Amino acid sequence: MSLLRYDKTKFPIQNNHAHYDEIFERMEELEAKGEILIHRITEEHKPVEVYTRTGRIKTVPTNKLWHHKSCGQCGNIPGYPASIFWFMNKFGYDYLNEPHQTSCTAWNYHGSGTSNPVALAAVWLRNMHQAWKTGYYPLIHCGTSFGSYKETREQLIMNKELRDAVRPILKKLGRLGPNGELIIPQEVVHYSEWTHANRYKIKELYEKEGKPKGIDVSNVRVAIHNACHVWKMIADDYVYDPEIYGGQRPAASAAVIKELGATIADYYTWYDCCGFGFRHILTEREFTRSFAINRKLKVIYEDAKADLIVTHDTGCTTTFEKNQWIGKAHDMYYPVAVMSDIMFSALACGAHPYKIVQLYWNCSSYEPLLEKMGITNWKELRKEWEDTVKYINELDKAGKHDELQEFFKTYDLYEPYSRTSDGKPRASATADKVLFRS
Amino acid sequence: MDGHAYGYNLPISQKTKDVPWEEKVRIVEEVKSDFRYHEYIFGCLNCGVCTASCPSNRFFDYSPREIVQRFLEDDVEVLYDMMHEYIWACSQCFTCWIRCPFVNNPGGLVAIMREVAVRNAFDATKDLLKPYGRVLLKVMTTGNQLSADMLQPDFFPDWGPKMADNMENLRAKRMAIPFDVGKAVKTAWEVSLQTAIELYSIWRETGIFDMLEKIDPNLYNVIMDMVEENEERWEDMQEE
Repeated sequence: MSLLRYDKTKFPIQNNHAHYDEIFERMEELEAKGEILIHRITEEHKPVEVYTRTGRIKTVPTNKLWHHKSCGQCGNIPGYPASIFWFMNKFGYDYLNEPHQTSCTAWNYHGSGTSNPVALAAVWLRNMHQAWKTGYYPLIHCGTSFGSYKETREQLIMNKELRDAVRPILKKLGRLGPNGELIIPQEVVHYSEWTHANRYKIKELYEKEGKPKGIDVSNVRVAIHNACHVWKMIADDYVYDPEIYGGQRPAASAAVIKELGATIADYYTWYDCCGFGFRHILTEREFTRSFAINRKLKVIYEDAKADLIVTHDTGCTTTFEKNQWIGKAHDMYYPVAVMSDIMFSALACGAHPYKIVQLYWNCSSYEPLLEKMGITNWKELRKEWEDTVKYINELDKAGKHDELQEFFKTYDLYEPYSRTSDGKPRASATADKVLFRS
Repeated sequence: MDGHAYGYNLPISQKTKDVPWEEKVRIVEEVKSDFRYHEYIFGCLNCGVCTASCPSNRFFDYSPREIVQRFLEDDVEVLYDMMHEYIWACSQCFTCWIRCPFVNNPGGLVAIMREVAVRNAFDATKDLLKPYGRVLLKVMTTGNQLSADMLQPDFFPDWGPKMADNMENLRAKRMAIPFDVGKAVKTAWEVSLQTAIELYSIWRETGIFDMLEKIDPNLYNVIMDMVEENEERWEDMQEE
């Protein structure tokens, strides 16, 4: 098992009210009793060890991963997952991105209350079973999924009643282990933890491929926004690092930005949420935009003088990104680029700003950031993207689907030509499946 | 009985005043009987750290400290009243949870209260969730909460003019997203029918469809039509 590069640095915090280690002891006990089966992280997952807030060593798998996608990211920020997959391919990692995944449904729960712990647990266990069945380890893209799944795991481990309530449902779905066990992963892992674990490789790629393209992030000022459901829900189970804020704040995202050589611009409302509110972003938008503008965007723009807000979740990215333009109506326009850690990292490493990072979908101004990073040909790259969309549109409208298929063979980096780590081509995940195609 | 000598700044509404005491007790007991309740509340110093850091407190008459205090005082009258509108101001960010010296989880208590409010189909909850119907339809039928076609510029004029650009040639733009299963318009990714069928089973077995029927019968009917259609498609495929 690979060790931390800084494993000799003593972690400064030992939190006395942390009880998280007990969860893992209980998991072992439940497995010994045959109630659960732990989906373990093994050598094939190329694990990296990181610290959590309490100094616990958390094992983060980096290879052979089952991608638990985010509906908000895929639906609204497609450059977010595209950047994750881009890095996976760049690093030659084996992964599976398939259609047999439902979202966690926790955004809905926190927004509307129309679910319950048994349903949330059943959805989680169903997805975890699917990952286990494929032999790939689940990597959670969404912050709310990550927070909800951490809490659901704790509830399941600590409450026999919940396990007993959910088991018959999983049995009906055919989603139990060989001896009727609930499948529970050893660790619940967020993609930002994967990014953190890969930050040295990301830096190497930046040096090797980003810098030769003229990209330089050393003069970029970055404000970090940590996502509430990632670090405030089950707070003892997220990455902290003695080298990042002295272990006093979450380390993921800040660590990769630091590694890339950009400047982290501190600001006094760093702990505040973004104003997303789950229900509020859709139906109480005055609150969301007021909070985002007053408590975050204004401070980040005026005090921190940041060029960029780096996030690691769906809702925060959307909230900051979509609620800037309206500020003009109140003379409160604080333009600052917004993107996730992995999107910024991909840009730094030379990924196409439109085809991969999909900045076209942004409503806020990102162009000054591209200029500052040295991506001065962004207009040409945008034209290239727009021409591609135009070409696809023409073929689609003319019903030339065979030609479209041929085009995608050369256009798509990932489907159907993505390869596993042993070099074999991976068949398309969707070719033979019945889907909600649209 | 006003029941709010300090702290809770809203008057008890006439609607909840008229509800029989026994019913109020039943509802509050339903919250307190949830297995999570005792994991979310331990004691309260009344320090107000939760409220001081609460985003909703800055813009709404809402205080997580009030939630915890009222439970500790067993203030049925106020708790019942809170469950109609007050609790819906919470942003569910859980800043209160991470900051509380006693590790209380007021946001978690609110989640239970909301769930009980929905399960009991309070009129205020029905009204409050009406604008949320589109999301419920999507998540209940596809398992995705959000899809690209939901972001129509007409719904989000405050997000600026680029929203209209984004929606132009949406289908082609989605096709140009270069990763597996990411090219969908009506779902966030291409979800297999089998996955949706399993989700329907979960909704049925856990009482979520029943919950929806009580809260919005019209939406429920639309959802069930789509669910049944997909289930028939799945059965036909299995037979083939």
